[in-house]
Amino acid sequence: MKKLLALGLVGAAAACGGDDSGRVTFSDPFCADVMPRVQDWVDQQREANPVPDDPRYGGTVVAGAIGEIADGLNAAVTSDYSSSQHQMFVGLMTLIEYDADIQAQPYLAESWEVSEDGTELTFRLRDDIYWHDGERTDAHDVAFTYRTVTNPETAFPNAAFWDYYVRGPEGVEVIDDFTVRIRLQPHSEFLNAWSTVAILPEHLLGDVPPAELRQHPYGSVCPVGNGPFVFVSHAAQDRWVFDANPAFPEGTGGRPFVDRYIYRVIPEPTTLLTELLTENIDVYFAPTPDQAPRIQEAEHLEFQTFTFRNYVMVVWNSRRPQLADARVRQALTMGTNRQEVVDAILRGYGAVAHTSVPPFHWAYDPEIESLPYDPEGAAALLEEAGWVDRDGDGVRENADGVPLSITVKYNQGNQIRQDIAEIMQAQLAGIGVEIEPLVVEWGTLLQQINTPELRDFDGVVMGWVTEFRLDDTDLFHSGRIDQPYAWSGTQNPELDRLLDRLAVTLDRDEAAPLWAEYQDALIEEQPYTFFYFIERLDGWNRRVENVVMDQRGEWVNIRDWYIDPASR
Amino acid sequence: MVGDPVTAGPRRRVVGGRGLSAVLPGAPQLLAGRWGVGAAALLAWVGFLWLLVARWDRVWAGAGGPWDERLAVATVVLGLAGAWVWSWRDAGQPLAGRAVAVSQWDLAVRAFSRNRTAVAGLIVIGGLYALALVTPLVAPYDPLAQGDLMTERYVGLSAAHPLGTDQFARDVLSRLLYGARISLSIGFVAVAISVTIGTLLGAVAGYLGGLADTVIMRFVDMVISFPRLILLITIIALFQPSIFLITAVLGLTLWPSTARIVRGEVLSLREREFVQAAVALGYSKTRIIFKHLIPNALAPVIVAATLGIGNTIVLEAGLSFLGLGVQPPTPSWGTMVDAGRGVLLDAWWLSTFPGLAIVFTVLSFNLVGDGLRDALDPRLRS
Amino acid sequence: MTRYVVRRLLGAVPLVLGIATIIFFVVNAAPGDPTLYMMAPGMSSEVVEQLRVNYGLDQPVHVRYVKWVGAMLTGDFGYSFSYNRPVLDVLMDFLPNTLVLSACALGLAFLVGIVLGTIQAVKQYSGLDSALSVVLLFFYSMPSFWLALMLILTFSLMARNVWDWPIYFPASGITSTGHDFMGPWEQVADRARHLVLPTLSLALVLAAGIARYMRGSMLEVIRQDFVRTARAKGLPERTVVFKHALRNALIPVITLVGLYIPVLFSGTVFVEYIFAWPGMGRAIVEAITRRDYPLVMAASFFFATMVVLANLLADVLYAVVDPRIRYE
Repeated sequence: MKKLLALGLVGAAAACGGDDSGRVTFSDPFCADVMPRVQDWVDQQREANPVPDDPRYGGTVVAGAIGEIADGLNAAVTSDYSSSQHQMFVGLMTLIEYDADIQAQPYLAESWEVSEDGTELTFRLRDDIYWHDGERTDAHDVAFTYRTVTNPETAFPNAAFWDYYVRGPEGVEVIDDFTVRIRLQPHSEFLNAWSTVAILPEHLLGDVPPAELRQHPYGSVCPVGNGPFVFVSHAAQDRWVFDANPAFPEGTGGRPFVDRYIYRVIPEPTTLLTELLTENIDVYFAPTPDQAPRIQEAEHLEFQTFTFRNYVMVVWNSRRPQLADARVRQALTMGTNRQEVVDAILRGYGAVAHTSVPPFHWAYDPEIESLPYDPEGAAALLEEAGWVDRDGDGVRENADGVPLSITVKYNQGNQIRQDIAEIMQAQLAGIGVEIEPLVVEWGTLLQQINTPELRDFDGVVMGWVTEFRLDDTDLFHSGRIDQPYAWSGTQNPELDRLLDRLAVTLDRDEAAPLWAEYQDALIEEQPYTFFYFIERLDGWNRRVENVVMDQRGEWVNIRDWYIDPASR
Repeated sequence: MVGDPVTAGPRRRVVGGRGLSAVLPGAPQLLAGRWGVGAAALLAWVGFLWLLVARWDRVWAGAGGPWDERLAVATVVLGLAGAWVWSWRDAGQPLAGRAVAVSQWDLAVRAFSRNRTAVAGLIVIGGLYALALVTPLVAPYDPLAQGDLMTERYVGLSAAHPLGTDQFARDVLSRLLYGARISLSIGFVAVAISVTIGTLLGAVAGYLGGLADTVIMRFVDMVISFPRLILLITIIALFQPSIFLITAVLGLTLWPSTARIVRGEVLSLREREFVQAAVALGYSKTRIIFKHLIPNALAPVIVAATLGIGNTIVLEAGLSFLGLGVQPPTPSWGTMVDAGRGVLLDAWWLSTFPGLAIVFTVLSFNLVGDGLRDALDPRLRS
Repeated sequence: MTRYVVRRLLGAVPLVLGIATIIFFVVNAAPGDPTLYMMAPGMSSEVVEQLRVNYGLDQPVHVRYVKWVGAMLTGDFGYSFSYNRPVLDVLMDFLPNTLVLSACALGLAFLVGIVLGTIQAVKQYSGLDSALSVVLLFFYSMPSFWLALMLILTFSLMARNVWDWPIYFPASGITSTGHDFMGPWEQVADRARHLVLPTLSLALVLAAGIARYMRGSMLEVIRQDFVRTARAKGLPERTVVFKHALRNALIPVITLVGLYIPVLFSGTVFVEYIFAWPGMGRAIVEAITRRDYPLVMAASFFFATMVVLANLLADVLYAVVDPRIRYE
C-alpha cells in the first residue's frame, strides 16, 4: 500500500511541471506558438538589463484570495474586479493612470490633449513599451483595442463607457505609430475609460473574430502583456504566476522590486487566514470583517482598510403596488438601523450610504440630509400613505386589506446579504412591516431581476460598483427602463433631468451643485435603501514593504512592493 | 422457533420492588443490574418531572398554546405516566416470569441488550427525540429572536447563554434544541421515504423477476450512477429550497441501496418452503409480497435505515456547506456548523456544539445500527 | 467471464447516455444561463443577446442537445464557458489532482480499516472493540468540511503558531509556491506534505465503514472450519489470524474498492474547497453555479462512467476472488 502511495506521488510529481529547462510548456496551439517567444524575450532582457544594485530587488510575494482572476488579462471582456486590477496594474497597461488624488497621470500615453470643442482626444504614446514577446506597443494596438471594445459583437460588458464616444473605425484614427486620435462627444470625466480599459496586443489578437475573443486562450491560458509583470503560468482554480518584467522602463516605474508575484486561489476564508497566519502567503486580499481582529493582533501582520466604490443596497421594485409610493420606501429605510448593521455585522468596516455617491468622491455633498433611523417617523409615514394595522395582527394593511408584506431576496452563499435581510426582517417587524427573506440561487436571481419582462422580486439585496466617473443612468433613468439594470423601475422626471445634465457637464465646479441636487432627489425618491459603502480590508505580512492600497484598488502599486531583504 | 431456554440465572429482576418503583421508576431495575431499561425509565422520570416542576408556567401555558407546545406537554405527561406504569408493572412481575419459549426476536433483543455501546446509543437517541419533542418547554429563548446586535453578538459561554450567542446575538442553546427537531426529522423522514420506496421496489423486483426485475434494477443502476450533487444543486436552483424539498430529494435519491438489499433477501426467500406453500395455496402476489416476503426481509432493512438516518444528518450538513441546506433563519445543525465556520477561531462555540451534536447523534445511530446488525444476524451472535 | 464483462459494458452504454440526457435537460431547465455572469453595469439587452449568439445559446434546447450528442460521439465535448478553453483540457487539469487525492485517501482508508477491523474482530466485545468503533465512528460522523477545518486549525495553525511543533502541514494547495525551484526529491516530499491533511480528512471518514465491514467478514471467517482446524493443529493464534483468516476475510472487503470510488468522488468536493485543492469536485460545483453547460455535461458524463465502471469492477473483483461465483 505504501509503495502504491509513493508510486502515485512520484507519478503525480512527474506529471506536471514542464521540460528540462524548467520552462512551462503549453499544449494549446496559440500558446505553444507564442509562449516560447515570451520566454526567450524575458531571458534576453534579463541578460540585457541586470538587476540594479539595490537590496530591495528580489524575492517572491505570494498573495491569496477566495476567487479566481476570472477573465485573466482579456481586457475586452472583463467585468470582474480582480481581473481588471490585474490588467491595469500587473500584466497590461492603461493609457493613463490615476494618482492617489484621482487625477489622471501619464502611463502608456506620455501626454494627451483634448480639442477646444471637446470632440477630439489625442494621445501621444511612449515608444519604449514592448509586448512580452518582443513586439513594440504602438498606436495600432490602441486603435485595435478601441475598435474591439466598441464593437457590439465583442459584447464588452461596460458598454456605457462608450456612450459618448464615436463607435467603430470612424471613432479612432492612427496619426503615426505613436499618436492616436479618438472622437467623442463632450462629456464629463472623458478620461476615465482610458484609466480602466487596458490596451491589448493587435499583432496577437487582430485576426480573432470579435465574437470569439472571450473564448480565446489569450485571456487565461497564456496572456501576453506589456506591463510590469510577465505572465509565467496559470493553473485553473489554483494559482497564477507572474515574473518581474526586466525591461519595464524607468519612466513608468521601472522593473518591479519583487522577482515573482504569485496569486493563489483559496476558496475557504478560514484556510486563507490560516495560511496568512502561518506565513504561507504574504497577502490576504479581502478578509472578512470577523477575521480582522486576528490579523490586527498578529505581530507579523499589517492590516489596512479603505473605503471602496462598492455599495450594498436593498433594491425596491417600484412596479409592485405596495412599493410604488416613495413614502413607503422612505419608511423602510427609516425603520432600519443601518449604522447598527455596519457597526455590528461589519464590525464598523463600512460607511453608511445615503446615495450612490461614495463619501470620498468629489461629487459627494458633505451637507447631505439623509434619512435618519427613526421608527416612529417611519410609522407615521406609513400611516400617511394609508398603511394601518387594521386587523391587529401586527402587520399593516392598506384600505383594500392587502398586508404590507415584502419578500426580500438575496443570493445564496453571501453571508452579509443574508444578514441584512434577516436584520431588516427583525427590525421592520417593529413598525408593522412584514419582511420575508428568501434565498435564491445566484443564476436564478440574476435571471429574475435582470430580465426586463420578469422583474420577479419585491426587494433584493444587491451590490453595485461605481466607476470614478459616476453615472447612474443605467439604474435610474426612465429611458433605460427596459434595460437589465433598471431594477427599481424608477420613473422620476427630476432624476432624468439631472442625470442628463450631469453626463455632459465637463467642469467639476459646475457639476458639484447639480450632484448635490441629485443626491437630495435620490433620497426623496429612495429607489433603494442604500446600506453602506464597503470598506475593503487587507492583511499582509510585514516582510512585504511599501504596500499602498486605496480606492484605486489593492494592486495599484504592486510594482513598488518590495520584500524586506532580512526576511528573504 | 424455540431456542435454548436461556435463564436469567440467580440474578434478580428487580431490587426494592413496587415500593421503590412507585417513588423512583426505573431504580429497581437499575439496582438489579438491568441498567439499559432502568436508566431509560429513570432518566425519563427524573427528566420529565424536573421539566414539569421547573418549567411549570410554560407547561401550563403550553397546554393551550400552538400545536408544537401542546405536543411537548403531551410528551411530558405521557412520558411520566409511561415510565411510572411500566416500572410498576415490571416490578410486580414474578422472578422467572419469562424464559419459557424464546423467539428469534427475543434472542435478538437479548443479544442487543448485551451490547452496552448499542444500548447507550439507543438511550441517547431516545433522549434526543424526547428532547426534540419538548423543546418549546426547555429552550431558554426564541431561536429566531435577535438580541442587541451591538453588545450581545458572539458572547461566549455564560450563565445567560450557556452555549453562547451567534452573529445575530441569538442564543446558541435554543437554536441547537430547535435545530435538533429539524435535523432529526430530516433524517427520519428522508429515510422513511427511501426505505418505503426501496423495500417495495426491491421486493417486487426480487419476487417477480424477469422483465420487472430488469427494468427496476436498471433504474436502480441509473439512480446510483447519477451524480447526486448535480441533481441537488439544480433542483434547488429550480425550486425554492425548503426543508420539505431537501428531505424529499434526499429520500428520493437514497433508496437504491435498500432496493438492492431487499431484492437480494427476497431472491433467497422466494425459494423457501413457507413462500412456496403460500404460492401453492393460491395467495395473490400482493399478499405474498406484503405478508410473507417483506416482513422476513426486514432485518437488514432496519439496520440500513438506522445507519441511513445518521448518514442523512451528515449529508444535510454537507449540503449546508454548499449553501443548499435548510435556509435561514431556520436552524438546523448543519446550517449552524456552517454558519460558524468563518469564526472558528474567535467564536468556537458556534460550530463546535452543533458539530458535536451531529457527531453524537450519528455516532449513536451507528452504534445502534451495528448492535442491530450483530443482534439480527444469527451468524454473528457469539 | 469475458462475455459477462462485454455484456455489462454494452449495457452500460445506454445507461450512461440516459444519465447524460437527463442531466442535459435538468441543467438546461435551471433558470438563468452563463451570460448572466458576464453581465455588468451598462450592458444592454442587445449585448446580452449578442453574447447568447456567440455561445450558441440562442438555439432551442433540443437542437443544442442533438449537437452536443453528435459532437460528444466524436470525442468533442465543446468549449467551457467559464474557463474559455476546450472542456477536455479543463478536465485534464483537474482530474489528476482528484485522482491522486482519491487514491491516497482510498489507500490509507483501507489500510486503517483493515488493520483496525481485524483487531476488533479478534477482540470481539472487548473494551478495545467498543473503543475502536466509537473512535472510528466519531470521525465518520463528523461533517467532512468541519473535520477538514479542525485538521487545519490543529495541524497547521496551532501546530506552527501556538504549540511550536517540529512538524506542521500546509493548509492549502497541492504544492508550495517555491515548488518550481526544488530538486526532484524535494518536490515529492513537498507534494506529500500537502497531501497529508486532505488525505487524512477523506480517509478518516471512510475508514469506519471499511473497518466495520472487515470486522464482520473476519468474524465470519474465524468461525469457519478451516480456522478451527488450524487452531486445532496447534498453530499460534497470530499465524491463524494473519495467515489463514485474514486472507479469506479480505476477499469481500477488496470488492468494496469499486463501491467506494463514487463515494470518494462526491466526498472530495468539500475537502477540495477547504484545502484549496484544484480538483474535479470544485470544478463541477463551480460549473453548475456558473451554468457552464459543456463542463457540467462532460464532468457528469465522466462521473457516471466512473460509477458504472466501478460497479462493474466490484462485481468482477468479486468473481475473481471468490471462485464460487460464476457469471454467465
